[in-house]
Amino acid sequence: MVFSSITFLFYFLPIVLGVYYIVPKKCKNIVLLIASFAFYFFGEPTYVLLMAFSIIITYIFGLLIDKYQKTEKAKIFLALACIISIGLLVYFKYANFIIENINLWLKHKVDFINVVLPIGISFYTFQMLSYLVDVYKGNTKVQKNILKLAMYVSLFPQLIAGPIVRYTTIQDQIENRTHTMEKFALGVRRFIIGLSKKVLIANVLGELVTTFLASNEMSILYYWLYAISAMLQIYFDFSGYSDMAIGLGKMFGFEFLENFNYPYIAKSITDFWRRWHISLSSWFRDYVYIPLGGNRTTKIKWLRNIMIVWLLTGLWHGAAWNFIIWGLYFGILLIIEKLFLGKYLEKLPKTFSHLYVLILVMISFIIFNGESTSMILQNIGGLVGFGKVPLILPESVYYLKSYFIVIVIGMIGATPILKNIATSKKVEKIANVLEPIFLVCLLVICTSYIVDGSFNPFLYFRF
Amino acid sequence: MKNKIIAIGFIVILFVCFALNIIKKDEEISTSERRKLAKFPSITLENVVKGKTSEEFDKYTVDQFILRDSFRSIKSFWSNYVFRKKDNNGLFLKDNRIYKIEYPLNKEYVKKSAEKIKNVYEKYLNENMNIYYSIIPDKNYYLESDYLKIDVKDIQKLMEETLNQGTLQKAGLPQMEYIDITNALTLEDYYKTDLHWKQENIKKVVNTLENKMNLKDTSSLNYEIQELGNFYGTYYGQLGRNVPPDKINILNNSVIENATCYNYETNKTENIYDMKKWQTSSDKYDVYLSGAVPLITIENKSNQNGKELLLFRDSFGSSIAPLLLENYQKITLIDLRYVSSTILSNYIDFENQDVLFLYSTLVLNQNVLR
Repeated sequence: MVFSSITFLFYFLPIVLGVYYIVPKKCKNIVLLIASFAFYFFGEPTYVLLMAFSIIITYIFGLLIDKYQKTEKAKIFLALACIISIGLLVYFKYANFIIENINLWLKHKVDFINVVLPIGISFYTFQMLSYLVDVYKGNTKVQKNILKLAMYVSLFPQLIAGPIVRYTTIQDQIENRTHTMEKFALGVRRFIIGLSKKVLIANVLGELVTTFLASNEMSILYYWLYAISAMLQIYFDFSGYSDMAIGLGKMFGFEFLENFNYPYIAKSITDFWRRWHISLSSWFRDYVYIPLGGNRTTKIKWLRNIMIVWLLTGLWHGAAWNFIIWGLYFGILLIIEKLFLGKYLEKLPKTFSHLYVLILVMISFIIFNGESTSMILQNIGGLVGFGKVPLILPESVYYLKSYFIVIVIGMIGATPILKNIATSKKVEKIANVLEPIFLVCLLVICTSYIVDGSFNPFLYFRF
Repeated sequence: MKNKIIAIGFIVILFVCFALNIIKKDEEISTSERRKLAKFPSITLENVVKGKTSEEFDKYTVDQFILRDSFRSIKSFWSNYVFRKKDNNGLFLKDNRIYKIEYPLNKEYVKKSAEKIKNVYEKYLNENMNIYYSIIPDKNYYLESDYLKIDVKDIQKLMEETLNQGTLQKAGLPQMEYIDITNALTLEDYYKTDLHWKQENIKKVVNTLENKMNLKDTSSLNYEIQELGNFYGTYYGQLGRNVPPDKINILNNSVIENATCYNYETNKTENIYDMKKWQTSSDKYDVYLSGAVPLITIENKSNQNGKELLLFRDSFGSSIAPLLLENYQKITLIDLRYVSSTILSNYIDFENQDVLFLYSTLVLNQNVLR
């Protein structure tokens, strides 16, 4: 079930909200647990059992790690739990990719396995791993109530496309959280803004991206239109989802951490990754990079650690070479910045450092979207006219005119300009009065797009 | 206060919509979109486990949503006037006319369509026949140059490459002669809310065909024009905007009135203009020769010259065929979208008829011929 669907908005959500606020406090977690399993079951009827199995494994190993805290046994149980969790992830997500690549070297080919990627497995696996590691390190108390642990893992607002909510972030909220009108209203506001980002910007630009990929009439202008649209689409798609997740969390009394902080205003790639998918990059920092030694080691090992983290980041996004290249691309850029470019970037005028980030990130998303090396090279080369591509053709002019407003809105929306205006004291009073009307209008327009449109995938579902 | 309004307003909207959706009686069809709407899914263990029930439920909730057409209008309005998008789901409104973008030209599909025509040509046609083909432009062809449109010349070039390549010709068969009708039409000759041409405006096309096919010129012939009423075409429902309706007219004279129309599918003989369809069909254009029918033969009882025409056609052919009757005793209309070319000899004796392949760019640019 996707948030931007009639089923979720006008069937699932009112029922769950209604029941949640009617039942007494002690039953609220059970209501959320049942709702979350129903939510997952609706989209993945068979894999709900896999999720339940993973939760039971995490629960048992969490208790064992806690029981044998600070002994060798705890380490062994942690290792076993990690092997099982990562093993399941590898089997369902990477097995066919591994087979495909092994087959390149084998005479007798290995048969592919018949599995479909369970939605959200990368997200909930990482959540469970963070829980187990934190129990092992003593950063958190073990959860002795399996239903509460299951509720944390399966909590539907963040279950299938993040953000990766750590147990330490919400452990207290599971036991005791507040429900206020203000928090609920903040949640509604955040949810509707996220829904609008997804439905009105990401989906609309997604149509242009799809049209470009199916077109034969390429021009430099069209390549740029594609690259900019894809860049905006992925940002609005994913940050829109995170907004909806955070908003829903607030409606049910939770406070999730922010996942995006205007990444396209970053002044370096290092800065970009502090602002983009924060929950993932901080997860890799805390559970991979630092345990490997981080930067408090020799220079060679430090560089190795960076490349390992970015290889894994790439792989986390998908079982394909373009994702690996994408991750390594950022690894190399970050190393270059850390070794020497960073200090020059700080001295550059803002415009240049912004432009530097935007162009490199735009290229990264061409790699991200590329289905083959030739396609990636063609789409990058097309930006500068490789392959004797004409500057403009009627098709590109038509689509530029047709999508111009949405692209401009997307560009403005990717910066804090609107937020700054809305929260400035000069317009605060007017904004206060108009905000409820504005939100209702957005909800109606989003609903009209959902009712009329068929183009509605969530890009991050595949991860 | 503001937070109260937002929180309560949101809850009220969700619950009211939920309640109304539950109370509202499901609709069978969407008259504006001319399609069946999704029904409540069948809940079986197999369907639930396979996720089919969820998929169907998603479609059901969208199709049966309260005030669906109004929401579609809001989307169309927002897309056009706020986002300034040039089209909405491939459709756009200009000067109160609705257009659908058929662009880009799908060369593979055009070649496949031409192959299907060539198969008929090689399998059934003979040297005693006069064989012609013509391409009906979609109405976008007559728009200004900054709109995406398919050039008929490009399609014709692709058709020509397939149809009249010497090596592919059966020995002794004449070349298929192309009849260019692009100059016989203007934007005004098409309905505003539909893809089709207006029967009352295509006499010039008929004359062009007659001249090229060495037929009697009927340009001086007068028809009685009968207005049937308002016509909301296919594009009207798809766009979801409020646009004034077209009027549908039928051209009549004694030849058309006396002619009969045999439908091979129903084994029934009907009139040229199917007034039952006019009354009952969601697509009023079905009044012409009962709409989408695989195989029909029109008998002209006023003409005993023995001349026959085999008209391979799409829906545009339904309205032009009656105007070609003056020259023929019999016209057989074959719609290769609904009948396979492999079984045509079961119904038609291929002798010395005139043969005209008359297809619109809309059909040729898709792979729909069988």
